[in-house]
Amino acid sequence: MTKLKKIGFYLMIALISFYLLFPFYWALNSSLKSEAQLQMTPTTLVPIDPQNGSFSPTFMNYASVIKDKQFLNGIANSTIVAVTTTTMALIAGSFAAFAMGKLRFKGRKQMLYVILAMTMFPQVTILSGLYAIITTLKLNAWFSMILTYMIFTLPFTVWVLTSFFKELPVEIMESANVDGCTPFQTFRLILLPLTAPALVTTGLLAFIAAWNEYLFALTFTAIEKNARTIPVAISFFTGIISRQEPFGEIMAATILVTVPIVVLVLVFQRKIIAGLTAGSVKG
Amino acid sequence: MMKGSQKSELAKREQRLAYKMLLPTLVILVVVALYPLVNVFVTSFTDKTFASSKKAEFVGFDNYKELLSVKIMKLPKVENEDGDMVYENPLRILPRKPMRYKEAFQFNFFGNRYVFGATNPDFLSSIGNTLNFTIWSVLLETILGLVVAMIVNIKFRGQGTMRTIMLVPWAVITVVSARIWEFMLMPTRVGLFNMIGDWLGISNGSVSFLTNRALQLPTIILVDVWKTTPYMALLLLAGLQIIPGSLYEAAKIDGANKFKQFIYVTLPLLKPALVVALIFRTLDALRVFDLFQILLNNQRYSMATYNYFQLIQAKRMGMSSAIGVLIFILIFVFALIYMKGLGVDSDD
Repeated sequence: MTKLKKIGFYLMIALISFYLLFPFYWALNSSLKSEAQLQMTPTTLVPIDPQNGSFSPTFMNYASVIKDKQFLNGIANSTIVAVTTTTMALIAGSFAAFAMGKLRFKGRKQMLYVILAMTMFPQVTILSGLYAIITTLKLNAWFSMILTYMIFTLPFTVWVLTSFFKELPVEIMESANVDGCTPFQTFRLILLPLTAPALVTTGLLAFIAAWNEYLFALTFTAIEKNARTIPVAISFFTGIISRQEPFGEIMAATILVTVPIVVLVLVFQRKIIAGLTAGSVKG
Repeated sequence: MMKGSQKSELAKREQRLAYKMLLPTLVILVVVALYPLVNVFVTSFTDKTFASSKKAEFVGFDNYKELLSVKIMKLPKVENEDGDMVYENPLRILPRKPMRYKEAFQFNFFGNRYVFGATNPDFLSSIGNTLNFTIWSVLLETILGLVVAMIVNIKFRGQGTMRTIMLVPWAVITVVSARIWEFMLMPTRVGLFNMIGDWLGISNGSVSFLTNRALQLPTIILVDVWKTTPYMALLLLAGLQIIPGSLYEAAKIDGANKFKQFIYVTLPLLKPALVVALIFRTLDALRVFDLFQILLNNQRYSMATYNYFQLIQAKRMGMSSAIGVLIFILIFVFALIYMKGLGVDSDD
């Protein structure tokens, strides 16, 4: 790259980063403000003292959030629910996607549509039906959430992974067959590692979707308050400091729950790099 | 002969394996989706009330008729009290039985004035809002997502950090991110955008992004584009990753410039990933709920928030199920258009 091109490139990156990050920065900024600072007119880009205009962040929002048992409990619940949901969706989804992407069988196309149809209703509409199933099966709140989250994670996983399995050259399966692999061995030992980038991508998206889900969680934890996930716990913040709505505390909680996810992405994004480098597949 | 039966034996084995591997998904599908979906279909033909013990009765297509009946009628000129000729009040013209039609809008056609009446104008406008929202937000986030994906697909220092930054908007809890935007969009200078607008001197610092009808949809679309571009970008990035670098080299040798490489190499090979990403984003956008519920709060409905309103506030469960079915049908149509239009399921 020439120098000028390089500067342009990094400028573009800076611009995009700014666009993606500034609302998050605003949450951070708001989380460091007291109630009075939040209502200052005009609003300020950093928390400042209304009297002398000096930089004066407050950490009391964080302090009160960390002391909140509901919040810590919520993190634990969300982690359990989201991890289990993602694992189940990836296992069932990669099995199904292998069948749809690489095996020939009757009803393949219809199956794709049926699986997609599972996720085509608005959440509100199917809520009462789901509630009936959960009472019949006598599931606790955790399992209710994990099972119902399949509705939006599984079709997505199956579809994305199917498109990736399809891309893999048929020759891999044929040569594995010659080497004496059963189709299932081919799947587990050869194809699955090759789709690692897709698995990580879908896994991350499914995990975050499950972590953020609100309506089902609100409904299924109505009785079992200890099972509330993070989004529900935050929505029930009554506020320890604030008299009205505890906006500062909500923002502090948001920062605290987003940071672990960002770290998770940072760890996993290395895996999103080309799994299909030359050598394993020659196209 | 021998060879043929051997082959069919292999094919049968392959088919059996396929069904076995689909089993977990099918079991989950039956347990968690079948009953609620059938239930919605059945309920949509009744007048069932939400959270009440009142017995539901079968009403046939009444819910659907109430949602979808429309009538276009010509407005005659009449004399008002002052002796001027004016158009008749649409309420007098539109039928009231068996269902009451309300005015949705008026229009002129060949010198005559017409009124477009509907039994449920709110629902029809919610369809319009949702389609408008879906088309714009999916279009914008696809373009932006593609740009972001192609940038983070290039090797450079800070690539890993950039890939992480890319996902931040998606990682913020949806309900809360709507609140962050609500706060930034406040109609006074307490809100970030009005502060900036005032500071730059392009507005008076009291723009009501969320109550001004002309600004509502554009605002919500921009918020959604911010939130879901990462989703698009990540799916497209995964698609870009499996394009072998050797293809670009071959194209280069053939004298293709960067733009030609994009059109003839990147786009066709990215298509499967792009279609899947488009289908799922469109599907989510057509069911948009959180943003409309939190930011517009019943001032203006999306299909899903109207559905929610009918269920929770109006307690009309039969009606809300009928809306759910209509949303389902609309989404299905979109999915079919994508699949056929982009030729994804044509390879078998």
